[in-house]
Amino acid sequence: MAKRHEPVVHNAGMFGRKTENKADPITTEVIRHALNSAANQMKRALIRTSFSPIIYEVLDFAVAIYDKDVRLLSQAPSLPMFMGTLSFCIIEAVKANGGTETLKPGDALIYNWPFGTGSHPQDMVIIMPVFFNDEELIGYTAIKGHWLDIGAKDPYCTDTTDVFQEGVIFPGVKIYKEGVLNEDIFRMIMANTRVPHMVRGDLDAQVTGCRVGVKSLLEVVERFGLETFASAVDDMFDHGERIVRSYFEKIPDGRYVGRGEMDNNGVTKDRIPFEIVLEVKGSDVVLDFSGVPDEQVGPTNSPLPTTISASRVAITMLAGYGEAPHEGHFRALKVITRPGSMFDPLPPAPSFIYGWPGLQAIEVIYNAVASAMPKAVPAQSGGCICSLVAWGQREETREPWADGTPLPTGQGAWDGGDGGTMLHIAESATRFTPAEVWEHRNPWIIEQLALAKDSVGPGKWRGGPGLNLDIRMTEDTLITTVFERSLNAPWGLLGGKEARPNNCYAEMPDGEVHSIAKSTHFHMPKGAVLQMKTGGGGGYGEPSERPVEMVQRDLEDGYISEDYAREHYPHAFA
Amino acid sequence: MATRIGVDIGGTFTDLVYFDERTGETVEGKVPTVPSAPEEGVVDAITQHVPQNIIEEAEFFLHGTTVGLNALLERRGARVGLITTTGFRDVLEIRRGDRAEMYNLFWKQTEPLVPRRLRLEVDGRMLGNGSEYRPLDVETVKAAAQKLIAEGVDAIAVSLINSYANPEHELAVESLLRGEGFEGGISLSHKISGEYREYERTSTTCIDAFVRGRMSNYLRRLDGRLRELGFTGTSLITRSGSGSMTFAEAEDRPFETIMSGPVGGAQGASELAKMLGIKALVTADVGGTSFDTALVIDGKPQVLFEGMIDNMPIQSPWVDVRSIGSGGGSIAHIDPGGLMRVGPRSAGAVPGPACYGKGGTEPAMTDAAAWLGMLGPGDLASGIHLDIEKARVALEAVGTHIEQDVEATAAGVMRISSAAMANAMREISLDQGLDPRTITLVPFGGAGPLMGTLLADELEMNHVVIPPLAGNFSAWGLLGADMVQSTARTRVIDFVPGALDVVNGVLSELFATLTERSAAHAGDAVKSARLDLRYKGQEHTLSIEVDISEGEVTETEEVILDRFVSEYARTFGGTMNQDVELVSVRASTTVLLPRRELSYTPKRSDGQDDRVMDVYSFETGARVPFRVIPRGRISGKVRGPAIITEETTTTYVDVQWTISNGQAGEIILERTH
Repeated sequence: MAKRHEPVVHNAGMFGRKTENKADPITTEVIRHALNSAANQMKRALIRTSFSPIIYEVLDFAVAIYDKDVRLLSQAPSLPMFMGTLSFCIIEAVKANGGTETLKPGDALIYNWPFGTGSHPQDMVIIMPVFFNDEELIGYTAIKGHWLDIGAKDPYCTDTTDVFQEGVIFPGVKIYKEGVLNEDIFRMIMANTRVPHMVRGDLDAQVTGCRVGVKSLLEVVERFGLETFASAVDDMFDHGERIVRSYFEKIPDGRYVGRGEMDNNGVTKDRIPFEIVLEVKGSDVVLDFSGVPDEQVGPTNSPLPTTISASRVAITMLAGYGEAPHEGHFRALKVITRPGSMFDPLPPAPSFIYGWPGLQAIEVIYNAVASAMPKAVPAQSGGCICSLVAWGQREETREPWADGTPLPTGQGAWDGGDGGTMLHIAESATRFTPAEVWEHRNPWIIEQLALAKDSVGPGKWRGGPGLNLDIRMTEDTLITTVFERSLNAPWGLLGGKEARPNNCYAEMPDGEVHSIAKSTHFHMPKGAVLQMKTGGGGGYGEPSERPVEMVQRDLEDGYISEDYAREHYPHAFA
Repeated sequence: MATRIGVDIGGTFTDLVYFDERTGETVEGKVPTVPSAPEEGVVDAITQHVPQNIIEEAEFFLHGTTVGLNALLERRGARVGLITTTGFRDVLEIRRGDRAEMYNLFWKQTEPLVPRRLRLEVDGRMLGNGSEYRPLDVETVKAAAQKLIAEGVDAIAVSLINSYANPEHELAVESLLRGEGFEGGISLSHKISGEYREYERTSTTCIDAFVRGRMSNYLRRLDGRLRELGFTGTSLITRSGSGSMTFAEAEDRPFETIMSGPVGGAQGASELAKMLGIKALVTADVGGTSFDTALVIDGKPQVLFEGMIDNMPIQSPWVDVRSIGSGGGSIAHIDPGGLMRVGPRSAGAVPGPACYGKGGTEPAMTDAAAWLGMLGPGDLASGIHLDIEKARVALEAVGTHIEQDVEATAAGVMRISSAAMANAMREISLDQGLDPRTITLVPFGGAGPLMGTLLADELEMNHVVIPPLAGNFSAWGLLGADMVQSTARTRVIDFVPGALDVVNGVLSELFATLTERSAAHAGDAVKSARLDLRYKGQEHTLSIEVDISEGEVTETEEVILDRFVSEYARTFGGTMNQDVELVSVRASTTVLLPRRELSYTPKRSDGQDDRVMDVYSFETGARVPFRVIPRGRISGKVRGPAIITEETTTTYVDVQWTISNGQAGEIILERTH
């Protein structure tokens, strides 16, 4: 890096009040319901019309509605990591297109420049401006959806070295002009994907979803009038801000450090430790990423929007009262990044697996919170979404096939509860596919789908068990795997112990075993077995304080072995 | 027509409705639920409200109950052992990896019905195409049987991978368990569900094993008590997927009746829609703690093929009834950010809303309605006299925090509640491609008619139908539940010419299963069949009804494909240029109950003469004089505003609505133009 950039401070929540008058509190609550319902309608329209399982089954998308100042009005439950990035997508796409004066009713922008979306180019954003009476710009609807392919070097990559290997870029151009499809752009899209019929379906679904959002937002505004609506929205934001602030007031002022580590960047083999600093002063929160390493030569870079999204997700999951976030929830938060670093990379840095540093950042932030208030957070989970992407050509029919899935890991224990087993909090609405469906769809036999013995982090409360998932390939198959945190065990809290880390192995038909935690385009010959081992959750509190009968029960249930119990819970054998 | 008695057990009240064939009259009644012995509540309701000659003449007793549901929710059921394929005993605990509360950092999956120590594995493996990959290892089955017998389990669930494609291993496990001396209940997953998705099928099988004993005891006790009272007819219980089954059938497949409670309302609304020729309607069933809504199109409720209880899936037909925690008892409170919220916490039956004067001090939705005058003069049929002053005090305490007076606070509670309910109704309608503005609203339940015009205004609907017996409508809905049996099997194949040969083969086995299950479903039973189809590569299916005769499909693949494509376009707004595949075949048989006619005449003597009182109007935002009219005294067209009183519910009609009587005793509300 030739020039070292100075850190930059970003407001996670945009703007204060825009109106002077207050709406009445009842109308504010009714409008909040109506906006959440409008976002839900967008989501339903998207799922109902989508053609790709990534959208309708894995829920790899986000839908949201914004006001004219790009303040988040509402979002439907979908992929948390996406949800916090959409404001950047709108701002950057509109800017790239020439500003708000170039927008007309019925326009739709298409945008996937990673440094504006925070993602890889597969994550495609459709944005529609909302005009009141066809004249006044009052907001935007936006949907970011994961397309199965838009021309990267492989269907999924862990080894790219610049952004141009990662897919075709659509830099905020109009796919619809005043309601009419722009055929030139459309043909460019179709020419640059391995799965045109699915991409076409998803594009249509996103446009339909955005249109439903435009209509629903207009219905709300028309019903209450623009003035009341604007005041109520300001009141709603103020209310969300108060909720989050009332939470952070409980955390003692101070500077708290959270520590994480990436196994490697996918290209070089060095481990990448990093620190995020949480500063709390009164109810103000600052997350400082400026001390993280420089941007990487491999694709583990998290562009700024995802860094801020991870911060927003971490804060609202913690302090947001369990409800769908809006702009007000972000106002107490500032984020500091250093351009040219792993959490604020500059073009043309590769960022295909941007999500992995992003999702780890959420738990590193909790790691910092824990040093101030351990009861506020769980210990670490497996710390990854442990992703598998597989593809090939069927032996009999020569038909190409592809499938992909994230996997559950053990979740961290907390003050008052043992951890469970589920997907990472960054993908908290996502499901994985049943074995019987996989066996039907893919040339696979699932040898086991089991909770792993001794994978849990011991403690007064223990972590959740990780998974052992073994898949035998019945035909030649290519895979990409992304299992991060294979070198670091999930941390415990307050004396709670570490759990088993993630790992992934390929057992070849000749018996040779390869460790493939991160691999791209790895060839699994017919008969090879893919062994995926996801991490357990860290423990909470001293293991010696775990009641003997709970140790006994874990033993009888086979979550732990006797050796493990004797090692970690000697008091149970006294 | 045939005389019949319907009893629906709710959380607070046990509702009764009976139909007398000779007079054509329908009569209603209500008694408190007896949670410790629900059948005694049923007996109370019958002895208090049904004349002896009706009990003796009745041909059918129709029942809706939450006994099975509560057994699940409260985890009061059998000690169950589970036998799975090697490598899969944890499927029940791993689930699908998602979180029910996505913004909750501390959310954890529900404790599995079977603890891990009682989940045992047996070796042997079938593949998805039905072929045997590894033979069943008899020794591992024997070992599992001995361990579970030693553990003293009451019932054993058996759920082996791909048993939907080939059940031989499960059948072999069953006979080995018997051979080893196990005498308790055995639930085999392929008999319970027959569909793929091992987590969902295993969950269903465990639920069956868990509730079977309890349900069976309950149904036998209840049937015994009915016989003692002199009842000689057929006892039926409603299914989660609508329709009913005999008690004996329900003892065999108890998991099919888990949602028998909430289904009554949707069932009744469907019958009402057919009688009145309503093309599409949405229901609003408002009780004390929850709000249920369902969509009825062409006289049929929307049926799903999977349901969910306490985060446990059940592969069983399931009427799409959506619930939110909002009802008459929902409490208004101030959140940490200083805004007023309503629910989901409820005042319940005890202490109840403040205005009931039973010790409640927090303001419930009923307090808001009482303060605003929406409940009329304040004499409820249940003998409760509303204490408006107590409602005022409770509302004021909350209103002070948001700087609103009692009137604005009370109106606010009603507006916030109706906004939440309206959102659920909007979403269930839009899911079927219906604009709520174009359909009819049917409110019922104790507090439904109170919310009718509020909800209609919220959704810009123009047509509201308050059914007869609105306060007991779920029990009334039971009376029309035809007897239904159904079964399904997953068989994934390309839906190309020749596929129907496979379908007909599966259908003949499925119909044989149904006949074997119940003698009542042989002979005259009406057979029907559905095929679950999808575009290849998709996960979700559409269930398409197909014409059959003598148990075989009488249409061509081409005709069925056309229907699939047009249904797809209607539901999802577009179609694909893709091949179509068959996923599952569904068969059902229906034994129709004798038809009944709806003729309900409210008693004219109800209540006093018309009165006028000042009641809050949401349309004008102020109190205006409302007429208070007993339901039996409505004639011709009556312009709102008005409060319509009857024994079990109160209807609030805002100023811009006009009231009239319908042909079958229903009240019609139309927006005044």
